[in-house]
Amino acid sequence: MKRLGLLFLAAVVVVAAGVAIFLFKPASLPDVSEAQAKLPTGQALIDRGEYLTRAADCVACHTTAGGKPYAGGLAFKLPFGTIYSPNITADKDTGIGNWSDAEFVRALHQGIDKDGQNLYPAFSYAAYAQMTTEDALAIKAYLFSLPTIKAEAPKNELGFPFNQRYVMRFWNLLFVPSGPLQPDPAQTAEWNRGAYLVEAMAHCGECHTPRNLMFAVDNGKKFAGAELQGWKAYNISSDKKTGIGNWTDQQLFDYLSKGHAEGRGSATGSMGEAVDFSLRHLTPDDIKSIVTYVKSVPPQTSTDNAIVEAEPAALTASTAYAPSADGAAQDGLGLKLFQGACASCHGWNGEGIQTPYAALKGSRTVNDPDGTNLIQVILKGAHMTTPQGRQSMPAFANAYSDVEIAALSNYVLGHFGGKESAITPEDVATARKQ
Amino acid sequence: MIALNINGEDRTVDVPEDMPLLWVLRDVIGLTGTKFGCGIAQCGACTVQLDGRPVRSCVLPVASVGTRSITTIEAVGATPAGKKIQDAWLDLEVIQCGYCQSGQIMSASALLNRNPDPSDRDIDTAMSGNICRCGTYPRIRAAIKQAAKA
Ligand code: FES
Ligand code: FES
Repeated sequence: MKRLGLLFLAAVVVVAAGVAIFLFKPASLPDVSEAQAKLPTGQALIDRGEYLTRAADCVACHTTAGGKPYAGGLAFKLPFGTIYSPNITADKDTGIGNWSDAEFVRALHQGIDKDGQNLYPAFSYAAYAQMTTEDALAIKAYLFSLPTIKAEAPKNELGFPFNQRYVMRFWNLLFVPSGPLQPDPAQTAEWNRGAYLVEAMAHCGECHTPRNLMFAVDNGKKFAGAELQGWKAYNISSDKKTGIGNWTDQQLFDYLSKGHAEGRGSATGSMGEAVDFSLRHLTPDDIKSIVTYVKSVPPQTSTDNAIVEAEPAALTASTAYAPSADGAAQDGLGLKLFQGACASCHGWNGEGIQTPYAALKGSRTVNDPDGTNLIQVILKGAHMTTPQGRQSMPAFANAYSDVEIAALSNYVLGHFGGKESAITPEDVATARKQ
Repeated sequence: MIALNINGEDRTVDVPEDMPLLWVLRDVIGLTGTKFGCGIAQCGACTVQLDGRPVRSCVLPVASVGTRSITTIEAVGATPAGKKIQDAWLDLEVIQCGYCQSGQIMSASALLNRNPDPSDRDIDTAMSGNICRCGTYPRIRAAIKQAAKA
């Protein structure tokens, strides 16, 4: 008995030692010399880095609203606490000015900072792990070419055990790919380029793929849609009903490159930002590759009810300037608000009077009975940079009460989406806090 | 350089493409009849017509006008609907302080243009986006009806 006990104890010690080594062994640095040798130098490198930095949309997370680009400080409210994006300008004290090439690559590929500490996966290194070392270095070269900004990000507010960074090592073992994305020889060059852009750069799945219990992207439900920070990232799998399976290539191309597609409405919220900061800067060929790849992702039926009604009765009975006589006779608060504050830009038939960007017809946001994104857009407004100047919708958070915004949302969903919805003032109050 | 057709006249303006049409009209061209109210598409004071359709010039980037012809309050009296509206406006003395009235007239004449005999409800629908702090709404409604009969 005693022997057995000792054996057991020994086994526990060995396992514990193994785990401890796994958790606390200093992280090693990758060898980046081969990649360094392959890269162009000077402006050519910086230009390549600029393009890739945009494609990876670093600015979206590493900049606060109205803040200096790449100076960090943006808050991420997660179920376990709040963390803040760091300053990634080359400032030596508060940014990454002292980071070596190898340290930068290690951060992107493994989620480990300069001091060997684990980073949190709010930083989408599980996606960037699939980036080539050359591309990672080009991004660094671009970031280091920008003016440095002194800005200390606020301290993370995380409770135990999530404030123990080494815990992330288990997570990394399970969920982080261990090398750059390998091209699939069975697919075209265009598809492979699209896969690389979507997976390693644009990291679409970080928002559009649901997360599992361990908060990792659940690739068994790839692109099935998810909700985060008060917005829905819609299903973008090729499912015809709940995804983008019925979109034409042209519609996808336009939506990604301009933030608006005829018959599909406009990108707002985080997707609006993704287009504005990132996608609209990509070459048409790259956007086409993304379309090819995204369309090839197998359909995932989601339970989300944001299903577009092609010809809602109230909408088809309207002209740009007036609802049908029956429609107008409803005469509720929502209709009154819409006619006073919204109709002159959006139009009653959803075509968008002021600008095509104001077109609502076919948009999932006005077809989602939950009204999740609709309430957010009404509260926060929307912006998009276009070749014809900046298109904007004002924010109405301070102009209307929760009761008014709830009534307006229900009206819009009924009129533009043919949906029965039951959005309450409490829903609006909750949305305001997000 | 951006080419515009304003009140029947071809003009080119050297402005950033992002500049709101309202600024171009008022500050660059000097057509100050169109008013700045809220600047965020909420009051209607800045309404002008593009190919006869009412738009809010305060949030319309000038580059998005394209080839559409712009009509402002300075020239709307030369269109049949605009003439009728302006006559009725004077006849019924609609105007109080006047600040919102360029926008009201631009919206009302666009309404009459597409709907020669608007009902009360049509008027509500078309005019709700034009706010009047002086509360001239009843006279606006009456004047549109009178113009429709003219
Ligand atoms: S100034 Fe344009 S709508 Fe108020
Ligand atoms: S007349 Fe004064 S604001 Fe309308």
